[in-house]
Amino acid sequence: MKFSIYRYDPESDESPRMVDYELESIPRGMMLLGALLELKKQDETLSFRRSCGEGVCGSDGMNVNGKNRLACLTPVEGLAEPIMLRPLPGLPVIRDLIIDMSQFYRQYRAVKPWLVNNDPEPEYERLQSPQDRDKLDGLYECILCACCSTSCPSFWWNPDKFLGPAALLQANRYIQDSRDQATDERLDALEDPYKLFRCHTIMNCVDVCPKDLNPTAAIGHIKQMMLKRSV
Amino acid sequence: MSRKLSGFKAWVVQRVSAIYMGIYLVYVLQHFILVPPVTYQDLTMWLASPVVIISMALFFLLLLLHAWIGVRDVVIDYVHHLGLRLAVLALIAVLLVGCGFSVLRSLILVAT
Repeated sequence: MKFSIYRYDPESDESPRMVDYELESIPRGMMLLGALLELKKQDETLSFRRSCGEGVCGSDGMNVNGKNRLACLTPVEGLAEPIMLRPLPGLPVIRDLIIDMSQFYRQYRAVKPWLVNNDPEPEYERLQSPQDRDKLDGLYECILCACCSTSCPSFWWNPDKFLGPAALLQANRYIQDSRDQATDERLDALEDPYKLFRCHTIMNCVDVCPKDLNPTAAIGHIKQMMLKRSV
Repeated sequence: MSRKLSGFKAWVVQRVSAIYMGIYLVYVLQHFILVPPVTYQDLTMWLASPVVIISMALFFLLLLLHAWIGVRDVVIDYVHHLGLRLAVLALIAVLLVGCGFSVLRSLILVAT
C-alpha cells in the first residue's frame, strides 16, 4: 500500500515536501494510525500526534486524501492510493503532521467553556430534568480534535476573529445548559460580525466531524436564541 | 461600518429582506403573467397606485441593503488590509447609493 506523506521540519527544511512510503501487507481492519505506527518503524523521524487510539482523545486529526479525519478511526481499506497525508490545514505546522493548536484553544477558551452559576453551591449537585439534560446531547461529545475548525474556510481567513465551529459548538453547549446563568452575556459576546457571523453555513464542519456532531445546527440554535430574545 | 451594522442585526436584515424580496418577486411575476400591461399607459397606470409604487420602492431599498450586507460579508472575509478594505467598501457604497438614486429617479419619472 502506497502512502505520500507531508514532511516538514521548519528548523532544517526550506519548504515542505511530500515523501513516498510503502507498506507491504495491511492486516484486515487496520486503521490508518496502525499503518502510521508501522511506517514510523521504517522511518523514526516521521512525526505525528497520537494517544488513545480509539477516537476519544482527539490527538491524531489529519488531512487524509483531502478530508480531515482521525487516523485512529479511519480504516486503511477503501482509501484511494497513494494515501495522501497532510497536517490539518490552516494552522502553523510544528513538524510533519503536527500542528500548533494554540489559536484553536484560544478560541475555545474565548467562549468560557465552563458553567457560570452564581447560586450558593448545593449540598450534593445541581439537578437538571432529563429533558434539559437531553438538550446537551450532540454538544458535550466534542473531543476538540480540530477537524471541523480547520476544514472551515471562514476559520482559515480569520482564525483570530472567527471562533470556528468547534468553539461555537461549545458555546451552544453552555447556552443550552439549564444550569448556566450567563446565557445573555454569552449571546452578547457573539453578536459582533466576526465571532459567530463569519459562518456562511457551508457545513464543511458537519461533513468532517469524526463524532458525527453538527456544529452548523449548533450555530443555527445560537442565532435562534439571539432572535428569540430580541423580539 | 461593520460595527454599526452588527453581525446579528445585519443577519436579521439580510433574512427579512430576502423573505420580502421572494414574496414580492412572485407578486410581480404573477401580475405580469396574468395581467400583462399591453401599452406604456397600462404600465404607468399600474405604477400610479400608491401600494404598487411604495412596495416597489421598498423592494429596491431592501435589495440594496441585502446587496450591501452580502458584499460587506465577502469583503470582511477576504480583504484584511484596512486601507484596501475601506477603499473597497467605499467604492461599493458609492455604487449602491448611485443605483439607489437611479432607481428613485426612474420610479418618480414613471409614477408622475
